[in-house]
Amino acid sequence: MPLGAQGQDAEQIMNKSRDLSLLSSMKATIKLSITEKNGAVRNRTVAMTTKSFPGGLEKRFIRFVEPADVRGTSMLVIDHKDKADEMWIYLPALKKTRRIVSRDKGKSFMSSEFSNADMSSPTLSDFTHRHSANSGNANTWLIESIPKNEDIASEYGYSKKISHICMEKFHVQKMEFYNFDNELFKIIETKDIQSFRDGKYMIKNMIASNRITGRKSEILFSNIDDRVSVEDSFFSVQNLER
Amino acid sequence: MTNFIIKYYRQIILICILLGLGFGSLIPFSETDPEIRNYVPSTMESRILTDKIETEFGIQDIVMVIFRDSTILTPGNLNSIRQIDRDISRLSGVTSRISPFTVRTITSTEGMMTADPLIMRIPSDPNEFAALEDEILKNRFAKDIVISSDMTSASITATINQAEPEKTTIQKIDSIIASHQSSAEVLTGGLPYIRQHIMKDVKRDALILVPIALFLMLLVLKLNLNDWRAVLMPFSVVLFSTALCTGMIPLLGWKLSIISLLVPVILIAVANNYGIYLVTRFQEINQRKDEASTGNMLKELTGTLNMPILFSGLTTIAGILGLLAHSIIPARQAGVLAATGVTAALIMSLLYIPAMIYAQKGQIGSKKQPVRQHFIFKTWLDKLSSVIVKYPGRIITGFAFATLIFALGITFIKIETNQENYFPKKSPVRMASDLINSKFGGSQTVSVMIEGDIKEPEIMNGIDRLTQRLETMDGVGNVFSISQAVREMSKAIYTDSENMYDRIPETRDGIAQMFELYNMSGDPDDFSQMMNLENTSAHVLVRLSNPDNKTINEVKSVISSGIKEIPGIVTVGGYAVIMNDFASSIIKGQVFSLIFAMLTVFILLALIFRSLKGGLTGTIPLAVSIVILVGFMGFTGIAIDAATALLSSIMIGVGVDFTIQFIWCFNSQIVKGLSYEESVRSSMRIIGRSIVINGLTVMSGFSVLIFSGFASIRFFGYLVIVSISSCLLGAIILVPAIIMKFRPQFVKKDMSKPKFIRHENKNLTSDIPGVAAFAPGSTRAGRGADHE
Repeated sequence: MPLGAQGQDAEQIMNKSRDLSLLSSMKATIKLSITEKNGAVRNRTVAMTTKSFPGGLEKRFIRFVEPADVRGTSMLVIDHKDKADEMWIYLPALKKTRRIVSRDKGKSFMSSEFSNADMSSPTLSDFTHRHSANSGNANTWLIESIPKNEDIASEYGYSKKISHICMEKFHVQKMEFYNFDNELFKIIETKDIQSFRDGKYMIKNMIASNRITGRKSEILFSNIDDRVSVEDSFFSVQNLER
Repeated sequence: MTNFIIKYYRQIILICILLGLGFGSLIPFSETDPEIRNYVPSTMESRILTDKIETEFGIQDIVMVIFRDSTILTPGNLNSIRQIDRDISRLSGVTSRISPFTVRTITSTEGMMTADPLIMRIPSDPNEFAALEDEILKNRFAKDIVISSDMTSASITATINQAEPEKTTIQKIDSIIASHQSSAEVLTGGLPYIRQHIMKDVKRDALILVPIALFLMLLVLKLNLNDWRAVLMPFSVVLFSTALCTGMIPLLGWKLSIISLLVPVILIAVANNYGIYLVTRFQEINQRKDEASTGNMLKELTGTLNMPILFSGLTTIAGILGLLAHSIIPARQAGVLAATGVTAALIMSLLYIPAMIYAQKGQIGSKKQPVRQHFIFKTWLDKLSSVIVKYPGRIITGFAFATLIFALGITFIKIETNQENYFPKKSPVRMASDLINSKFGGSQTVSVMIEGDIKEPEIMNGIDRLTQRLETMDGVGNVFSISQAVREMSKAIYTDSENMYDRIPETRDGIAQMFELYNMSGDPDDFSQMMNLENTSAHVLVRLSNPDNKTINEVKSVISSGIKEIPGIVTVGGYAVIMNDFASSIIKGQVFSLIFAMLTVFILLALIFRSLKGGLTGTIPLAVSIVILVGFMGFTGIAIDAATALLSSIMIGVGVDFTIQFIWCFNSQIVKGLSYEESVRSSMRIIGRSIVINGLTVMSGFSVLIFSGFASIRFFGYLVIVSISSCLLGAIILVPAIIMKFRPQFVKKDMSKPKFIRHENKNLTSDIPGVAAFAPGSTRAGRGADHE
């Protein structure tokens, strides 16, 4: 193992990287493109506002902009650190608001190759972290995260994740996901990063490629505002129908 | 030709051995193709349409793991199912699966919609189990799909992909099942399993049936020819020609199928015919010509038999080539292979056997053994010829009556294309299939793909109406479509007092937003079998609990009328539809190959006998045999399937041999100046024994098929005994009776002399010693007949 790898504990590295990615609040426009194996492309554009609360609680408000047939559809997601996420959705064409319970972190985010877990702050306690063989080379930490038990593995849908983390800024550059045959099946690559004050950062552009389905999904954040001031009441069910 | 054989006998023997060894060495390179859809040409419409649907929605081949117990809802059983399900989900060769732990319950309680797995936690007390049972019975995606409504069986249905070879995925599933203890009985089924069993059973059959057939052949030959050297000659022709045609399979880039199994058996049964005629005839010549040289005896032998053997061979080849008219690919391949094998056997018999006799210096059997069986044959055949001579009219009437009775059976004939029925009822794969069909809606499918804007209410309502019609049909197990999911979601969004509860939304945006809702709550892959991600194609998947042709036809008819109401491009395909087309192919192939074989044989017989009446006389026993065979199948319930469809062509090919041999011999007797009565008696004595021995060897060769692992091949074995028996009886009873009754003129023309030579050299036959022991006026032949 390279010298550098012995210098810092794998869990500390993951914690630091995670902490730096946490923003107190943020507003952005997100464009999600899903490219099928046959080249067909499906686009979604949403406006998203997030806010972090004490105790690891995070709330997201999403309103669909494109395509036209789902415009106005709104979602409120409450991401608990230790229990299942809560999700409300308002369907303007049906004039109905419904609460959805989702317990599966490995589940796809908006039909893309990204999972719900990929889109929220990672729950590091679900994994055992250790340095991978070449960790510390090329100015990059390679950290293996292995689910602590079978149930967690099934919930996330993979047996191992290797995160490539920049040694200097602790930015996640790449994530490799291994299936239960220990084969690499999904890669998420960071294409662009937006840095904020105090070393904080957010991934602005990333691409997830699924080697089995041949599908690719790309998320592009634009109009990012990390200093947005949002009232707590903004994240309410009543606000969905406005 | 005899001089040529005598001159080059070593080379002839060597070439034949080398050919046999060379082609035999290729046999281990043969691969098996268990995919029945490859039996139909890729240009067939149903295959093209199915390929189109599978390009969009993936291959619809499903593997099913079935758990069976007196009650499946126990903590132990559910734990085993959960562990096995989880392990299967991790296989890269598995795309998706439906199990008690993946099926979702979409519910709406207190304004909250949940799309949770049916079993979140395994119940621990009787009340929880009762609640789960109630939940299963209410859930349309669970009842009789993952848990049978009688709560005795559960299933995991896995759709497999091509990320790994199918065989590897199946082996991994098997080892997962083996690694988990379960008190429930675990069965596996679905087409991928059926294919693996076919692969295994084809190899097993080939390894068992061919040696048994060869052993039986050896036994029959030893019993009839006495001397081991005599036995070895036709036997080695069988070996060489079988090796040649089987070795051709990998050489031509073809693959073994269930049908190919028949090819070596056909060869084993048929290829010795010509050798038997030659060896028995030589033994007879040898027996009465103590002092003659081997060369002279050989000349008499070849002069006697080459022509009828050549004609027999040609007609057999023509009959077998009738298989080329089949649209079933392995049937055509079997036709080419068997015809090539018979051609090789024919050429080897005419060259190699005389060469071997010459190499053995004619020592191929004791000369002075009045064998007991000869006596039995003689007595029996003499009695038979007396009856024929005395009552030809009654015999013809008897045959006509029997033919009429069997003709009635044709109306009961069934077509079978269901691969599940290839296996005997008690085989594990068949038991699993029966269970899947009776409790879980079946594993064979019909697919309907609708292209258009699926979010349009008009299209979605059309899909919904079609789904509902199909769901109520007999023989249809389960129907899966996107409209069902939309209706289920509407039940979670609206309360049952609201108008839109359990209905398709009225606007396009309403449907689009409902999909978006599911994308957020469920897994979009849940829909991947029902609709593509762009929402431009939908798929209605119909699983058949009774995948017979009648059901498939009815389903197709309901779909045809249902799709008229759907404003989109509709494609109908699926494995069951291919099988339906396959059934039509079998019928067409059967009719075409029969017509082709009958016409070819008729023309050949007319040429050989130089008379249309001759052609007709030779064809009648075959026609009678075909009616008897098909009628027998109708009465006994044996269906026409991929294997039994080949029977009639093979029967014509093999059966015509007996008729030619008899008429040829009869002709030789009558042109000698014998009366019709005397000619019948004499022919029966001369050739009757060889014909009966031949018939018995052919039947014994084919009889090994009754040991096959495939029900269909077993039936083929039984049927071949029926058909060859009827051909045999037709040749030695009906043909002489027809000749006796109608006394056709063609039998009086000298067939042993080629027509174009007859005018040039009237004494040609006398120049060649023994051009037919049957030759007219030949004292040798006369002595031969007398000796008999």
